[in-house]
Amino acid sequence: MQKSLDYDVIVVGAGHAGIEACLAPARLGLKTLVVTTNPDRIGYMSCNPSIGGLAKGHMVREIDILGGQMGIAADETCIQFKRLNSRRGPAVRGSRVQSDKNLYAQFMIQTLMSQPNLNVMSGEVKRLVIDGGICSGVVLADGSTIHSKAVIITAGTFLNGVMHVGLQQTSGGRVGDQASVGLSDQLVEFGFDVRRLKTGTPARLLKDSIDWSKTVPQHGDEHYYPFSFSSPNKPKLQQIDCYLTRTTEATHDIIRNNLDKSPMYCGMIEGSGPRYCPSIEDKVVRFADKTSHQSFLEPEGLTSDLIYLQGISTSLPEDVQFEFLKTIPGLENVKVARFGYAVEYDFIEPTQIWHRLETRPIENLFLAGQINGTSGYEEAAAQGFVAGVNAANKILGKDEFVLGRDEAYIGVLVDDLVTKGTLEPYRMFTSRAEHRLILREDNTADRLMGPSSELGVLKAAAFATLDVLVEKRKLLAARLKETKVYPNKAMQEKLIALGTPALTKSLSFEELLRRPEIHCLDLPGLGFDVDQDPNINDSVEIEVKYSGYVSRQLELIRQMRRLEELLLPLDIDYTEVRGLSKEESEKLNKIRPRTLGQAQRISGVNPSATQAIMIFLKGRKNIEASASGDSLGKKRIGRFSAPDAVENSNLVR
Amino acid sequence: MIKGDRDVDTICAISTPIGTGGISVLRVSGPGALLIAQKSCQFLPKEPTSHHVYLGLLRDLSQSKPQSAGITDEAVDEVVTTYFKKGHSFTGDETIEISCHGSPYIAQKILTILVQSGARLAEPGEFTYRAFMNGKLDLVQAEGVLALIQAQSDRSGKQALRQLRGSLSKKLEAIEADILWSLARLEVSIDFSTEDVEIVSKTDLNQRVLAAQQGVNKLLESYRSGRMIKEGLQLVLAGEPNVGKSSLLNLLVEESRAIVSEIAGTTRDLVEAKFSVQGIVVNATDTAGLRKTSDIVESLGIKKSYEAISDADIIFFVFDINRGLSAHELGEIELLDPYKIRLIGNKKDKFSGFLDSAKKTLFDQLKVLKNFQKIENFEPFMKSKVLFVSAYDKSSYEDLTGLIALDLSNTVFEDQSYISQVRHFENLTKAAENIERALLLITADSSVEFMALELKEALILVQETLGKRFDDQVMDRVFREFCIGK
Repeated sequence: MQKSLDYDVIVVGAGHAGIEACLAPARLGLKTLVVTTNPDRIGYMSCNPSIGGLAKGHMVREIDILGGQMGIAADETCIQFKRLNSRRGPAVRGSRVQSDKNLYAQFMIQTLMSQPNLNVMSGEVKRLVIDGGICSGVVLADGSTIHSKAVIITAGTFLNGVMHVGLQQTSGGRVGDQASVGLSDQLVEFGFDVRRLKTGTPARLLKDSIDWSKTVPQHGDEHYYPFSFSSPNKPKLQQIDCYLTRTTEATHDIIRNNLDKSPMYCGMIEGSGPRYCPSIEDKVVRFADKTSHQSFLEPEGLTSDLIYLQGISTSLPEDVQFEFLKTIPGLENVKVARFGYAVEYDFIEPTQIWHRLETRPIENLFLAGQINGTSGYEEAAAQGFVAGVNAANKILGKDEFVLGRDEAYIGVLVDDLVTKGTLEPYRMFTSRAEHRLILREDNTADRLMGPSSELGVLKAAAFATLDVLVEKRKLLAARLKETKVYPNKAMQEKLIALGTPALTKSLSFEELLRRPEIHCLDLPGLGFDVDQDPNINDSVEIEVKYSGYVSRQLELIRQMRRLEELLLPLDIDYTEVRGLSKEESEKLNKIRPRTLGQAQRISGVNPSATQAIMIFLKGRKNIEASASGDSLGKKRIGRFSAPDAVENSNLVR
Repeated sequence: MIKGDRDVDTICAISTPIGTGGISVLRVSGPGALLIAQKSCQFLPKEPTSHHVYLGLLRDLSQSKPQSAGITDEAVDEVVTTYFKKGHSFTGDETIEISCHGSPYIAQKILTILVQSGARLAEPGEFTYRAFMNGKLDLVQAEGVLALIQAQSDRSGKQALRQLRGSLSKKLEAIEADILWSLARLEVSIDFSTEDVEIVSKTDLNQRVLAAQQGVNKLLESYRSGRMIKEGLQLVLAGEPNVGKSSLLNLLVEESRAIVSEIAGTTRDLVEAKFSVQGIVVNATDTAGLRKTSDIVESLGIKKSYEAISDADIIFFVFDINRGLSAHELGEIELLDPYKIRLIGNKKDKFSGFLDSAKKTLFDQLKVLKNFQKIENFEPFMKSKVLFVSAYDKSSYEDLTGLIALDLSNTVFEDQSYISQVRHFENLTKAAENIERALLLITADSSVEFMALELKEALILVQETLGKRFDDQVMDRVFREFCIGK
């Protein structure tokens, strides 16, 4: 077998993770190949036709600032926009768009096809080329081998995928697509802990068979906030409504009477399903006192005849599905294009990967998306981007790219997966982020411009736009702080007219803006010019109004950061660290935390363990320094040699 | 976990062995040591000189804290402080050592004040640990610390839970449940706002958070009675001069043969002694007779008597049964807490009248006092609170200790759920602040993520006290209780 290096990076799969995983290295100038079994299904929305939502919208914006594609594609194909929680505080508002499903996929296919340095290939990857614990390419179903410096697997639900409709099982990762058999068996051979998960999808209905008069239309928002900083402030496509209907007692009766035909309830499915996205069978059984559940009828596109039946995912037999659908108002004469089904698939227990999403057992092999136990397009895309960038950085000899839990939801996602693992499909929630109040949609650029410019996926021209935005915000914030407002008669009258108390002494405009009745756009009337762009003044106003809470979180972050900055060498044998319990050293040896902060987040590792580890490390450094006279030994505690930098220098060249 | 920076904050501990010695030494170390100590030791100069000693009154100024309501600007003890600047102390961090009088009560009180001023209780071995990290010790010396950390780590988790008394952990779990209930609902309303789930009403939320608040406050109050077990009951003998207070003290102390020490205060006119009743240490203080005087020294002594009275768990108000209660004595009684007072009629051996009619006269006199008027069922209430004794009669010893035993059984053992450790007190005090702020936010209809932040912090503190670890319990609860699904 010849060992020519055909590519720098090979990406297996072209779903939402695969797209970002192949675009990032290609944009960094690396020769990249993406292999998919079905090029027509690139960027296909296998489940609901929407992008974003609470915590998910946050991640889409983060991907966008870092140079990913998901936000742009969602903006381009948006047919309804909603800002969820718009009446709540700024940290928990989340943008969600419904996209035209076909246009979304077409846009992604176009993007991949026109991306320099990127080739798209149709084929099935059967095996990986692994030698001496290092992955160096893939073997396709036709027996041919393609070599590369790194491989990223983004196989979604395709690894040993089994679809369930009633008691019938078929092999497959999605209706119309074959399962991928072989790859996960090889991973088991190499010592990976591979487990099963389950997910489901509802029926797709034919538009013309629905009696819309029995449903309640749901409009999108008037205000539109595109995901991407580079998108225009108006949606391109015509905006549409969704429709609300509800299940009835009759629906529930039919489901209850047929539970023995549900693969979930007769033990045929072993994998755990997502608790936040239960099937309708689950809802009816677990919440027996609820006589009705809501469902949204979501058009899959402007020209599509298909309607997505949100909230009613099921794996009951087709005849039972058909029977209960007809008991739902509006669906009395429904025609079903495709019935709902459940999919069971293999995933790799994610504590086996590093934060850079490279696997621990096999070097140069990266995993992203559902294969790591997550659920959701946004979670997948975020990981795809992180894996793509890290594969590239490794090849280029650059530092690994890891975002902090205090910087981005993407940081929370990756850290949770590799530190805690998961037993059910992992979905992002705002409550997973301990620093929720500063991880907002409105300050994404402020949070991630720095890391993004270091990465270099986003082009310099784009930064010019972002720089201007961030500069304008800073300037406005500074002016608010410096400019005073004085209690003269004219001012007092204006303030009272705005419904806020008169001044008792002079204030800065920042202090005035802290009052709940005063908004940025009121300030020009009081003699203070502000930028009309909501991208500028919204974010500044939020920072001012919530400064008390924001500074409290920043203080916590400051406290945490010391532990987070303390990188732990990878070669510690934790059984040698005195002061750790047996359970603690076992867990630490398994997870191999990157930082002292991560060590503390491992369940079962007590806070006192950090002290023991610090003493161990300091003792070790002293010994090393006295033995070799090495300059490292003189480094202050907290600045141990960065393990990953050392490791990166040993990369395959 | 919310806490991170556990090795650069300021820590404090009592550094001398627990028990009564001549003096106790407390150590405060860390970047905020001076600022924290200055809050209670206001005699310390702004920029003290390293290795210099400063003498002054340590005061409790924490009037805003709920558990010390009503106590303002209280002098706790006259203390000697030594200042060590950064780099020149045992730990290498800025350090202040406070030497106070050798009473476990005073040392504990000062420790509490330091915690309220912003210091954190040191973990076992933490001073040595810092000394090592700051290069003040070598690794061999630090081995001792590791042994301590090991012990601490073995103890944590479930074992920490076992350390708590059963009924205390039940109370904490009830508080935890109320907070979890509320937090789960707030999180549902944030993360699943598009779902068809019933979100909690403001009234229900308020009620559950209030319940948590009451629970926490009760436990904070119980800190006093919990302390009683560890440090003993504070008994004060008060009354006019020459009613026989000192003889009664001698009676209690000599007969019990449990004298640990007897310290005659040099700067105070209080006489303190210890004895034990049913295994509980009683710290008895004999006070200067209460009377109006123009003598400056004597009036200082009387001021001390009042201070001792305000700290007491039980007050033996001693009077001469042959004279009865004078108008002045009644005036003094009127100022005291009726629940703490026991009326001790002394010199029974010289009394020739009928004890029953003396008692009746006494009741009639007390009934009209303002502080006794609010007591329902006055006579049954007072029955166990009046005792006629003679300092020279051995059976009076039994009567007096019996009175104390009754008190111990009523106030302490009827409810064993109390917190006794400063660590628990520290956590729950912070949790109480979080809950207080959460309630304000609920009342003000603020956005829910701020309430959630406060309740999450309170939950972590309560779970830490329980020895549990905070993880995904909120989400587990959400999924268990709510029908959620996209």
